[in-house]
Amino acid sequence: MSHIAFQDVEVTYPGGLKALKGVTLEIPRGQFVVIVGLSGAGKSTLIRTVNSLVVPSKGDVAIDGASVTTARGAALRRMRSDIGMIFQTFNLVKRSSVLRNVLAGRLGDVPAWRGVLGTFPAADLAFAHECLARVGIPEKAFVRADALSGGQQQRVGIARALAQKPSVMLADEPVASLDPPTSHAVMSDLKRIAREDGITTIVNLHFIDMAREYADRIVGMRDGLVVFDGTPAEATDRAFEDIYGRPIDEDEDLRGA
Amino acid sequence: MIPSTVPRPPAHVRRTQLFVGALAVAAVVLFVLALLTINWPTWARVQSGLTRNVAPLLNGLVRPDLKTFPLAWRSMWETFHMAVLGTLLGAVLAFPLSFLAAGNLLGGRPFAMPGKALLVGVRTFPEILLAIIFVAAAGPGPTAGIMAMGLHSIGFLGKIFSDVIEGIDAGPTEAIRAAGGGPIQVFLYAVVPQVLPEFASNVLYRFEINLRAAAVLGLVGAGGIGLPLLQRLQFRRWDEVSMLLLVIIAFVVTVDLISSRIRRRLV
Amino acid sequence: MPEPTPLGTPAPRAAGAPRPPLVARLRSYLGLGVVAALAVVAYQSTNFDLASLFTGAADFFSFFGRLAPDWSALRIIWRPLIETMQIAYVGTVLGTSIALPLIFLASANTALDPISMLVARVVLTILRSIPDLLWAALFVTLLAPGALPGIVALTFFTVGVLAKLGSETVESADPGPLEALRAAGAGRNRTIVYAVWPQVAATMTSFILYSFEINVRASVILGFVGAGGIGQLLYTRLNFFDYSGVGAIVAVTFVVVLAVDAVSVWARSKLI
Repeated sequence: MSHIAFQDVEVTYPGGLKALKGVTLEIPRGQFVVIVGLSGAGKSTLIRTVNSLVVPSKGDVAIDGASVTTARGAALRRMRSDIGMIFQTFNLVKRSSVLRNVLAGRLGDVPAWRGVLGTFPAADLAFAHECLARVGIPEKAFVRADALSGGQQQRVGIARALAQKPSVMLADEPVASLDPPTSHAVMSDLKRIAREDGITTIVNLHFIDMAREYADRIVGMRDGLVVFDGTPAEATDRAFEDIYGRPIDEDEDLRGA
Repeated sequence: MIPSTVPRPPAHVRRTQLFVGALAVAAVVLFVLALLTINWPTWARVQSGLTRNVAPLLNGLVRPDLKTFPLAWRSMWETFHMAVLGTLLGAVLAFPLSFLAAGNLLGGRPFAMPGKALLVGVRTFPEILLAIIFVAAAGPGPTAGIMAMGLHSIGFLGKIFSDVIEGIDAGPTEAIRAAGGGPIQVFLYAVVPQVLPEFASNVLYRFEINLRAAAVLGLVGAGGIGLPLLQRLQFRRWDEVSMLLLVIIAFVVTVDLISSRIRRRLV
Repeated sequence: MPEPTPLGTPAPRAAGAPRPPLVARLRSYLGLGVVAALAVVAYQSTNFDLASLFTGAADFFSFFGRLAPDWSALRIIWRPLIETMQIAYVGTVLGTSIALPLIFLASANTALDPISMLVARVVLTILRSIPDLLWAALFVTLLAPGALPGIVALTFFTVGVLAKLGSETVESADPGPLEALRAAGAGRNRTIVYAVWPQVAATMTSFILYSFEINVRASVILGFVGAGGIGQLLYTRLNFFDYSGVGAIVAVTFVVVLAVDAVSVWARSKLI
């Protein structure tokens, strides 16, 4: 059975913009899927229907056969806590320490007042440190998040998602704010962790070469529809020109580094 | 449980935590101490006050006395006019003072000191205190209230004005000077245009504050809606109090809305 | 008077350069006109006596002369002065603890639902429009004279002061961390504690200190309507024309208010 199942998903934003026009996809457990497409193609919207940050106006998204789309309240929150998410702009609390940012992903069952006082269970603290070690910045735990470089901040973002012990990982343009070498480092971290933990991962990417390098499977989107679905080997330049709807120059920024 | 593997925060983080914790404890201790030492009225007294007043109060509040409306309306307009004049008086007097108090024009820091001290001094006096003094000196009525507000506003506006002046961009000043302009041209064409929107915005903000202040100045005989309100409070005419309060709230909320809209467009 | 310059328009105009658009100029003239008309109407309706500004000012300063402090009054000053500080402090603490949950209820990004948000906003707007002394007068009549009505009055007043400043701060918080926390399955409380509060804590603490400053000033005068503290003493001294006693009270109060301000301003500068 597939792990994540999109069934004819449509999204119409208030104001009439149709971001998704019927997407059906089956993603098996443990697959590392990269979604490519121009901005406005519906990549971000698609990824957000998986944790219901965007609720489909038609169709259904299910994880392990349970519908996320129809889940509400505590049930939805429980499903979300199983889904880690990484953002283009990192979305860290800049004034908080790195450790606190990571803990924020951890503490689904810890009462809020403990967060106010900062008295966290020792097991959660230990796990948060472990997550930081896995992304290679254990020494930054007590540094304020805004004192880190972009690449380090994104690693904190990954550690926060890992702290949830997720079975699904969503990454919305995780490297778009980073320089090329850092982008590769972050992507290979992401891939390695997904492999090791068997996490089903969906990544939105802008860059063709990076998609080919890291993906198990590439999904191309244009104008709210899936226009390509295949292995990196099948994703030729020709296929990409189809996804982007125009020829790709050798030195264009879409290639990345 | 694996607490031994959890790294301890570095010393400076622990120090900050300790400091914040100590402050929090001190704040709580102070609070408890205050609660213990305050001269509380006996519960019987509070209870008798509550049982005598709460029901009539609620009763009166939901039934504002319509016959009081003309009086409320008239006194609130007087209050409004007091606030207008008090604010303008303060603004007009603060304007020259603020240039004295600003460190970057007119000779610099040493000259600014006395100006700054004057502004701080004026601000520390609650305006109601000034109003009492003015009522004693010039007799009861709106004039005393307006002067009190004006004087108090000088402190607030003068401080903000001079901050604004100190923050202006030196570029235009230099440009005018380079083009052969004298101090008057510099003032008119480089300083005033830069500071005017901020000044106007803060004058409006002060007006919002003064309108609230003017509503209570009457408590000491300095004009406005405060006196009729206090009288009705003392006689526990809750239905009339209710009408006066309604008019005050409606007026203040409306003025706030208009004023904040204008301020948003200014800056 | 200098020629009124249109607000926000860079002034020096070279000859022949385009003048600011007519509408902008008209608008600033209109603004000035409205202010002038208001001033004239206000001047007439309040019978404001500009002359008394000068004659009154003379009286004012001679009056100040009679305020030479009588320091023996210190004996009776310190107790009500402490009560004043207690009222201000307790009122600030209570007001803050009521204001904080209300602020999160009234801010669009942390509200429970649209209805409770609207209710919270209306309550806060009404609280904010009532001045401190009015609260005190109300509660003195409702409860009994003394420190209690002063504390209750300042509690309500503090909620009003903090509400506006606070909910503007909360609403301007970076939405990114909120989205991240929601994506991780956090409910409203956890989102506030981990994503909003760390962002606004410093500013909020600064506002709380600021409202304490305001409350210290306010608590000085609460006694005028019978709500305890130094104001009550001041009011009786004034009624007895004991001006040297008044002078002593005013001087001591002045020093205390300045000291509180200085400490608070220092603490606030440390926060940012």
